[in-house]
Order: sequence, then structure tokens, then C-alpha cells
Amino acid sequence: MNDGIISSIIGPTGPEQRRLANRVMENALNQAGLPFEAITYLVATGYGRINVPFADKQVTEISCHAKGVAHLFPRCKTVIDVGGQDSKGITIAHGRPTDFVMNDKCAAGTGRFLEVIAEALGITIEDCGGMALKSKQPAQISNICTVFAEQEVVARLAEGVPLNDLVAGILESLASRISRMVNRIKVANEVVITGGGAKNAGLVKALSDKLGYATLVPPEPLITGAVGAALLGKDIVQKAMKNGLPLERKKRSLEEVKIL
Amino acid sequence: MAEEEKKQERKKRRTATEAASSIGAMVKAAIGGTVRAKQEGKKVAYAFIVCCYDEIIRAMDVVPVWTENFAGVCGAKRDAERFLERAESQSLSRSLCTYALCGLGFDQWREELGEMPPDAPWGGQARPDFMLSSGQILCDPRNKWYQAAQQYMPDVPIYDVGLPYPLYEDDIQVADVQDYYIKYIVAELRGLVKFLEEQTGKKMDYDRLRELVDLGERTWNLIWETYDLRRAVPTPMGTGDAMNTMVPMCFMMGTQEAYDFFVKLNKELKDKIAKKEGVVEDEKYRLLWGGGLPSWFALTDFNYFNSKGAVFPVETTYRTIEPVYRLNMPDTDDPIERLAWRWLGYWTYWYDKAKKRPGSEPDVERLIQYIEDYQIDGIVMHEAFSCRTWHLGLIWQLNQLRKIYKPIPVLILGQDGKKREEKRELPSLILESDIIDISTYSEVDTRNRIDAFIETLEQVRKNRANRR
Repeated sequence: MNDGIISSIIGPTGPEQRRLANRVMENALNQAGLPFEAITYLVATGYGRINVPFADKQVTEISCHAKGVAHLFPRCKTVIDVGGQDSKGITIAHGRPTDFVMNDKCAAGTGRFLEVIAEALGITIEDCGGMALKSKQPAQISNICTVFAEQEVVARLAEGVPLNDLVAGILESLASRISRMVNRIKVANEVVITGGGAKNAGLVKALSDKLGYATLVPPEPLITGAVGAALLGKDIVQKAMKNGLPLERKKRSLEEVKIL
Repeated sequence: MAEEEKKQERKKRRTATEAASSIGAMVKAAIGGTVRAKQEGKKVAYAFIVCCYDEIIRAMDVVPVWTENFAGVCGAKRDAERFLERAESQSLSRSLCTYALCGLGFDQWREELGEMPPDAPWGGQARPDFMLSSGQILCDPRNKWYQAAQQYMPDVPIYDVGLPYPLYEDDIQVADVQDYYIKYIVAELRGLVKFLEEQTGKKMDYDRLRELVDLGERTWNLIWETYDLRRAVPTPMGTGDAMNTMVPMCFMMGTQEAYDFFVKLNKELKDKIAKKEGVVEDEKYRLLWGGGLPSWFALTDFNYFNSKGAVFPVETTYRTIEPVYRLNMPDTDDPIERLAWRWLGYWTYWYDKAKKRPGSEPDVERLIQYIEDYQIDGIVMHEAFSCRTWHLGLIWQLNQLRKIYKPIPVLILGQDGKKREEKRELPSLILESDIIDISTYSEVDTRNRIDAFIETLEQVRKNRANRR
């Protein structure tokens, strides 16, 4: 059991989660040059965690992000995960969550908001952060609904509002919704932002400004949860070995999944 | 494989006690009873729970139609959407109390058809002869709902009974102002009696009322003693069951049936405690349902908590009684005065205690008392979006609780490498949905939050410095 990540795969989930779980596992094993039997323990996380049939254990993202971020930033006390379909705030202590808050009700507080607006503006998500940082006067986006905000942004663009200002305005709106939610828990240094949103420099800056805290970002924010899941798995294995107890595991086989 | 397994039937809800499982039939019979009563020419009234008039209505042989209960039944049967849509088509906002929207949609439909809407849940809601609103501070739909219903039933009169109680203030003692409130409430209740006498053509039998009020007080005490049994470890009954057993408490107060129900429940809980029979076999986490009306369409979520070893020995929701012998009631034979004192005593019950703890407040003090009495590991609150009255202060209560109450000892490693003990607040979870409107509810998201909360509880348990 060496430290360090041997291989990692990132990709869109899509509707056929079980088939994807198999494919991702195969790709990761190929990249690592390992057979499936070599995996000592497997932990699945995320909304699709129940669709990983070969997982030995399923753990929520809350615990996995807490563990993953604490491993990368041992002094972290607050985690903000800005995902594609939800956003979360987690307070942690000793690598474990002590409190959390989630937005799973409204897309306007998630990465999906940004995806919809970026598409409407004809830009890529990757460009958004840089564009926002160039803005001197972020536009005020009044709508709280993603779909209506999209409409508003397109109309403002037609009026001649600079694209950079619009993008900055959208990120401010997103940061505002996320920070209002996160402020329900006790924010304290160090604050780490993870998830896809952490790759957006403009969003990271907007969040830092709104929260009033400097923020840190992991080198690859999209796999923090998976890192945490692996580390939790490692803890389970080490504990079992220490106590001389057997490990409950699933059969190591990747079956062809027939979708109806 | 999971694709085939996914087409499951909706799991049936399980209750821990036989008493709770008998409630469905009782409610169905009661609702059917109101329709029959109407057909038999008895006087039928729309009524709200916790309005101080249960015994008064019963003493006048008025049959109550508990409109909140009917909406709850529609919600639990997942058959409220058509009534909510109907109300919305009448330009009533979907953000309004969904008990009211469900009831108003039903009433509009019934009046339009001249008969019950098709497949009305459990026979439907009987057309009232009069409606009894309440101007208590608690809930403004209680003023407005029946006024809105009057649009569809302009011939049905309303009596609105005002039931104030002193708000909590640091520098005001209840004892200094209570006489004024009692005088006001008594006048309001006497006005209600007069209204009922006019509507029924009968005079109030005060001896009978005295008996029913006495029965109500004994029932209050019995309920308190019965629920207190849930302190046992393992707890014999959870909040899931309490959302059933609230029926005799809130809809049948002043009846022998309600009293007998709690005699039975009391015995059942004592039997379970003697056999160490808990809600779950392996009780891992004891949770307080700290506030929020439940999602009536998702009561199976309590079973989901149970499946993780989590139980709810206590809740604040629908625990609408306190022991009468602790309410400092003066010696009076007048049943109306006794009702007024009982009302005031209930709503100000936690005031004195709250004043003794800096930063506390009656609702927070109540949470602390329950946490200590019932050995609670974590708190769950439900934010039902359409009911701001009951839900507005919940997050504030949690925040205040966190500030002033840190009961969990944990050992942490200091900078000097030495371990020291620190006190931490209880973990808490906020669920977000509604009481009746199922479109606000996502089972996937709710259970995801519950899973994460259970993991948090487990970690706190592991880190506890002094293990229980």
C-alpha cells in the first residue's frame, strides 16, 4: 500500500451509470497496468454510488470530500464543493465532517448554471474564469432562476453589455448563492474549494470575496471526492489488518451490463 | 441487477407500536363519520387543531371537520396534487400554506359539482354549517383560510376566536401580564359559546363542559406521562409513530376515546420497555425531531432513518401538551377559565426556564431539555416551505443552540502535542420539502442528506471523549 495516485479517470456520467462504472474501472486499471484482482478495497461515492456493483462500500460525498481535502490540506476546516448538480459546504475536524449544508434544490447554485449560461453566450466554461477576472464592472443579474437568468444575459448582451462583465456577473450570482448557503455553517480557515467550480478562477475569487476568506484549491479538484473515498477504503483495510479481522468485499469481476 | 430491481413497489410504512398502526382506521372512521353526521342533520364545523375549543365543540355536540387533518390524509395518500392545482387555478399562490390550498381546492370542486369530487379520499370533507377560525399569533392561514373558503360557501358563517399569549421578552414576567390575557381569552371563548348556541339552537351545558375539560386535563397528563416513557434506552416509540398518535391528541381531545387510546399506548410502551424492545434492534443514534411539520407523503423516511439504526425518541412537532399540574393553574371551577389558563400555561411553559440561561429562548430551552432528558445525539429539522409560521425560526433556533449549548466532549490534539478536551455542539440536519406538496420532495436527495448525516453522527460517536 503505497501513497500516491497511480491512475485517475475523469468523465461525464451520463444515464447508463452501471455501464460507465465498469468502463471507468477498466480504463483506470489499463492506465495503471493492474489487474482487477489487485485492488484491495473499493469505495464508491457520489450520487451514483449505488450504481457501482463491484464497490465494497458506498460512502457519501460529504465524508469523502472531507477526507480527501483533509489529506491534501491538513489545516483545512471548511470545504466548499461546487459540483455540476449540487453545491455543498462542509466543516471538518480530523479529516471527518462535523457539519454540512447542501443545495440540491436549485440549479442556480450549481455548475449547471454556468454551463447553461456559457452555452447561451457561445463560450466555453473553461474560458469563463479568465474572462470574469478581466471585468471591471460585473453586471447585475437579477433572476434567481437559471432559465430566466439565461434569457436576461442574452438580452443584456444584445444591449451591448460587455461579455466579460456578463460572465463576471454570472459568477457573482453563483458565488452569492453558494456563500449564502455556506454561511449557515461555521466558516473558518483554512477554506478549500473543490469540485468543478474550483477550476474556475473567476468563481474562486468571487467566492473568496463574498465569504471574506482566502481560499485554497486542490491541484485536481474533480477527483478530491474519489481520493477521499480511496483513503477511507485504506483506513478500513488498515483497521481490519490491525485487528486481525476479515474484510467484507465484493467479487472482483466486471460483467457486461445489459441495459433494458 | 439494479435495473430490474428499480421498479419496486413503494415500500409500506411501518410503525413500532400497535397503537400507532390503529390510527389509520380511526381517522377513516372519523372522516366518514363527519359525512354521515351531516346527512343525519347534525351540526358540522370546520375547525383547526390547537385552538382551545375542542371541549367546547364536543360539549355542544358539534361534529368537527378537521381541515388540516383532511389535507394531511390527502398528502399521505399522495392524492393532493389535483386539489392544489385546483386552488392554483383560482389564482391562489402555490407558496401559500398547502394545507389551506388542498382544502380550498377541494371545497371549490365540491361546491362546483354539488357533491364530493370523484374518488374523494376517505369519503371527502363534509360541507360545514359554520367555520371556526382562530386569530392566535401562531398561524395566519387560521384567520384567512376559512374566509377564502367562504368565497365558495357564502352562506356559511365564520367565528374567529382570538387567542393571544404574551410573547417572550427578557424584561417582562408572565405573572405581571397574565391577568389581562386571561380576561381577553375568556371573553373570546364566551363569545364562541354564544355563537355556537345561536348556530345550534341549544344552550351550553356547563356541567358537561366541566366534565370534558376535566377529562381533557387528565388526558394531557396521561399523554405527557406516556411520551415520557420514550426516554427509555432503547426507545419503544419514535416520531414516525407520534405523527399517528397525534391524532387523538389534536383531533379527539375531550373524548373518552382519546383518553382510552393513551391508556393503551401507555401500557404498550411499558410492556416494550420491560422486554427491552426498541423501535430498532440495534439502536445506534437517538435523534430529536427539533421542529417542522412532517412531509405527510414521505413518512417512510422515518423508516429509512430506522434502517440506519437511528431513532427519534422525542419531537417538538405536534407535542401540544404539557403536564397540567405544572401549569400553575389557579383554583377555579369555571371550565372556560380553566381552558384559558391551560392555553396560557402551555404557550408560556418554557419562559421561566429560558430566562435562567443566557442567550436562551423558550423554543431553544425546550430543545435543550429534550436533548438531556432523552439522551439525544443529533437534531433533525424539517423546513416545510409553505408554512413560514411554524418554520421561520428553525434555523435561528439551531444557530442559537449551537452558540449556547455544547454538550459533546471531544479530545483534540493541541499545538503542544498534548490532548485536551473540548466541547462541541450536537450535529444537526435540515431537511427541505413541504407538508403536502410532493413536487418539492426528492427521495434521492433527502436520503442522500440522511446518509451524510448518519456518517457525521458516526464520526462524532467515535470522537466522543467520554463514551456513554
